[in-house]
Amino acid sequence: MPIVKNPGSVQEKAGSGAKRRTMLLRRAAAAFFALALLYPLAGLFVPVGAWRWGDASTLDAVRVSLVLTAIAMVVVVAIGTPMALAIARATPRERLMWQAVLLVSVLVPPLALGILISLAFGPHALGAFLDRVGLKMTNTPLAFVVTQVYVSIGYYMLGAIAALDAVPEALRVQAGLLGAGRWATFARVTFPIARLGFTVALSLAWVRALTEFGAVVVTAYYPAGMPVAIWTGLENFGLPAVMPLLVVFLLTALPLPWLAHVLAQRRIARA
Amino acid sequence: MLDAHIVKARSAFTIDVALRVERGASCGLFGASGAGKSTILACIAGAETPDGGTIELDGRRLYPPSAPLHERALGYLTQDANLFPHLRVGENVCFGLPAPERRVRSPWIDELVERLDLGALWNASVRAISGGQARRVALARMLAPKPPLVLLDEPFTGLDRHLVRALLAAIGGWQRELGFTLVVVDHDADILARLAPRVLAIENGRTIQDGRWDELRMRPATPLLERLLAPL
Repeated sequence: MPIVKNPGSVQEKAGSGAKRRTMLLRRAAAAFFALALLYPLAGLFVPVGAWRWGDASTLDAVRVSLVLTAIAMVVVVAIGTPMALAIARATPRERLMWQAVLLVSVLVPPLALGILISLAFGPHALGAFLDRVGLKMTNTPLAFVVTQVYVSIGYYMLGAIAALDAVPEALRVQAGLLGAGRWATFARVTFPIARLGFTVALSLAWVRALTEFGAVVVTAYYPAGMPVAIWTGLENFGLPAVMPLLVVFLLTALPLPWLAHVLAQRRIARA
Repeated sequence: MLDAHIVKARSAFTIDVALRVERGASCGLFGASGAGKSTILACIAGAETPDGGTIELDGRRLYPPSAPLHERALGYLTQDANLFPHLRVGENVCFGLPAPERRVRSPWIDELVERLDLGALWNASVRAISGGQARRVALARMLAPKPPLVLLDEPFTGLDRHLVRALLAAIGGWQRELGFTLVVVDHDADILARLAPRVLAIENGRTIQDGRWDELRMRPATPLLERLLAPL
């Protein structure tokens, strides 16, 4: 009995082999790219001498950064959320105007922003009035927090507006017709649906504020937060003195936004 | 009683329709696609704001000025179920009830659940249910607070015939029981006739005929209406 080969199955085998090779190649390229992207973290393992742990100024810098950034985030959320709601519900013309204003706050280079804040809140402008009521806007925790709010609120609001845009208006209409007022609609429908977007927006603002150097170094050299402390430590004492602070810096800046983005991506993948 | 005069500019024409429906009565809006029927319903619901006219429900002014959605006391169901995706089926159904009533299922909610066959779905995520099931959940959610006015905008589109029959029977029964005023839009004259003995035929944003179905079928006001009413 003659053996008849099935040409279709041969072609299929060849096709699936090519597919597998393409997939392997793609994975290898992606792995190489990921390694290259994460390669700077290898710097943590480069021998630079014995790390100097437990420096009092290191702990101070961590405390200053975490406490004052947390306060700045409270201000950002308290002001930014209602403003984002107002912009998201504004007419297209108003919305364009507001978003243009927000973009300016996001795009001003940090160093320039620091100088501008110093001048605008300085003794020849608003600073004279603030001084009279006992508020000092140079090298104080207030200056630190105000600067962080300025550098981060635009990021938070743009993210919050995008999160609000993702909630269909028909759902808000239904909630309203079912008896929920504006606040109840926000609390029971809009926010629960948009909360991951809000978390991502807050995490971006957190990173932006916590890692801010250019603006803060001008307005609030003291009290020194982590970025300024790392810079001055590097200048004065070298790498062994700043490496522990660098590790803490990474640990406080990375996890929240990382987790928020991973969760957001997971939700997108599920939808 | 619903007493409405809707004026709303559209790109091709301006809608100008007066509509008066006695309390507990039904009225259908019939016409070709794009005639303005859904816009009329959206204006009454508050999903869209009219450019002129007046809307009153049981003596309360809904427009002008535009009353807030939560003060309108009406149910509005469209082709899209628009369920709240973060809530389970039961939470969606009870959304419009006062807080204490959301915790314990009342006999009325039990009736809705039984008639609409939602028992097995009660704790399911709304993301996991079918389109037909979602439409039943949306109907239950709309009726749960017992609104005095119900607006239905082609809510049966795309549903199986047997499900449409069951829903029509249920809505008719509940209207008799609860006494709500009903305004329905549908492109299917048979469905509309089952829910509303009186119909307004709409063409290019104007009422071209207002009467009973047999009157429309006997003497349609325009050739287009005649074609729309003709059997397939």
